[in-house]
Amino acid sequence: MTAPAQPQADTAERQDFFGNFGGRYVGETLRPALDNLDREFRTAIADPAFQAELARVQKTWVGRPTPLLFAENATRALGGARIYIKMEGLAHTGAHKINNAIGQALLAKRMGKTHIIAETGAGQHGLASAAACAKLGLDCRVYMGDLDVRRQRPNVFAMEMMGTRVIPVHSGTMTLKDAINAALRDWSATYPDTHYLIGSALGPSPFPEIARIFQSVVGRETEQQMAEAGEEIAAMIACVGGGSNSIGFFEPFLDKPSPRLIGVEAGGRGPGPGDNAVRMAGASRYGIAHGYKSRFLMDDDGQVLPTHSISAGLDYPGIGPQLAALGESGRIEFTAASDEETLEALKFFARQEGVMFALESAHAGAVAMRVAPTLGRDQAIVVNMSGRGDKDLFITAKALDRDRWIDYLKNEIAT
Amino acid sequence: MTTTPTKLMAHMIAGFPDVDTARKIARGLVHGGAHYLEVQFPFSDPSSDGPLIEKASQAALDRGFKVADGFAFMKELARDYDVPLFIMTYGSLVYARGAAAFCDQARDAGVTGLIIPDLPPDYSEGLFDEGRKRGLAITPVIAPGISDARLEILRALRPEYIYTALRLGITGSATHLDDATIAYLEKVKSIGAKIIAGFGVRSAEMMRLLAGHADAAAVGSYFLEVYNNAKGDIETALRDAAAGLLA
Repeated sequence: MTAPAQPQADTAERQDFFGNFGGRYVGETLRPALDNLDREFRTAIADPAFQAELARVQKTWVGRPTPLLFAENATRALGGARIYIKMEGLAHTGAHKINNAIGQALLAKRMGKTHIIAETGAGQHGLASAAACAKLGLDCRVYMGDLDVRRQRPNVFAMEMMGTRVIPVHSGTMTLKDAINAALRDWSATYPDTHYLIGSALGPSPFPEIARIFQSVVGRETEQQMAEAGEEIAAMIACVGGGSNSIGFFEPFLDKPSPRLIGVEAGGRGPGPGDNAVRMAGASRYGIAHGYKSRFLMDDDGQVLPTHSISAGLDYPGIGPQLAALGESGRIEFTAASDEETLEALKFFARQEGVMFALESAHAGAVAMRVAPTLGRDQAIVVNMSGRGDKDLFITAKALDRDRWIDYLKNEIAT
Repeated sequence: MTTTPTKLMAHMIAGFPDVDTARKIARGLVHGGAHYLEVQFPFSDPSSDGPLIEKASQAALDRGFKVADGFAFMKELARDYDVPLFIMTYGSLVYARGAAAFCDQARDAGVTGLIIPDLPPDYSEGLFDEGRKRGLAITPVIAPGISDARLEILRALRPEYIYTALRLGITGSATHLDDATIAYLEKVKSIGAKIIAGFGVRSAEMMRLLAGHADAAAVGSYFLEVYNNAKGDIETALRDAAAGLLA
């Protein structure tokens, strides 16, 4: 990584920064919205009635707690540490995204907002937001890059069925980062009655903190479930796009010296520029975009570079500010898994455990396969299956069983 | 209400659609009577801009625009024209060089001021200090709805200019000057800075509406539309458009 372009501001004591990273780098048009959100969020999470309502919805609608699986066959096949899988992909709408979506939707409702804006890449956060808004009676519009709209038709269909308006974004690279810009732009004109339900642990303060707190239920459950299994955790492994699943999964352990916390970035097709989304383990720079300071894949002028990953959810040029800070402090180790390793991991856990990881989460699975054999049989690791793989059928089937899949699609068109 | 139009700050994008044409656009705007030129350096993720400007920025980047080209362009403009020059861009471009280096290069290019909406005073990365040291007018961008507390923060900075939106939201939509807007402008005026009012100005009538309330009107999307729709000579089209606003 390139050295910081200049001495860092003294941000250590500020609530809106994590070390060097974070902040509220937005125009004054958005300032009242963020200042108000900050106040309302802190009041809400301190309110037992809000927490009780959140817990009730998590149990009856999200499907919490999600199970913790001892991956016995995978453990035997790899011959090292005992592997546990946090089955977060069994949550409603298929991924951890629902935790943040329903939390923020409840917050928005409490704040008297009647409309929700969300951005989405692959569509998982859009789907979670659409579901949360349908459930709570909020009007929802989702910005989605036009390229993603075309790649992820099934999720667009599902969002629309739940009453959400999906707005294609035609600017920039027509992907997630452009959807974020469009959402911020919309919000700057509509915040009096509208909440921006950002989908990851990124964006201007207080969003990174909001996403972490609503996702921390994943880590707390895991801690308890591992204790019930009589296991001491040696390492926890999660994939990192923007970072909401990893920061929530790691949350209870951030201030402790153990276990090892391993974040897995998208190694994509290789190390070349534009071929991956590796921010922490690669050649990123300190930068400011999308309202926050962090490490970004940018050129020396500060222009955001294109990224690639087989998983749309990791295909993003920045990383949540707290994760960047924890990576620099050494508390979180970062590594990457390539597209190819990811597909191997997907096949391995499907075959061994009857569990199909989402492509994002399969990056963490790939690193679990790498780490487990290096540890003793008396040690235990937990990998977060943040999403399940049903949503990826159109990508994985095309990658793994191309001819028959194309035949199937042709037949579908013919009938 | 006075019928003398307010001054014109004409907005254009460096490197759009290409350097040669950008030169013609600048010449047209200045010869049409623009009192200030606001030159936007393209950024890949311009979240405060409307779709027109975003698209044009991307087009300039696709043609290989570099920030160094932007400064070279400013230097040419400073040599050729006698109007104050402002650079508008995003914090990422400033931060990538460091505020001190960015301000050095801006000053050396003959620039009067910088307009960086996502580096507000409390997240400025040293921009206000470094700018002041070099005599650059670091120009805060504000909008109606700003709290009195934040206005006081700006007052303490004693800026020479303040750039304000006249409605919530982004560039390129319609603006009407209602009583609340006029009251807002009076409040901003109490800071003592020259007021540049923008976001949506597209007619001589609106320029006249602003007279007495703002020192200059920033006009951007309108000129981009003129460029996009121009059939004949670009320079003439922009000159006529600028002159039309000041008629």
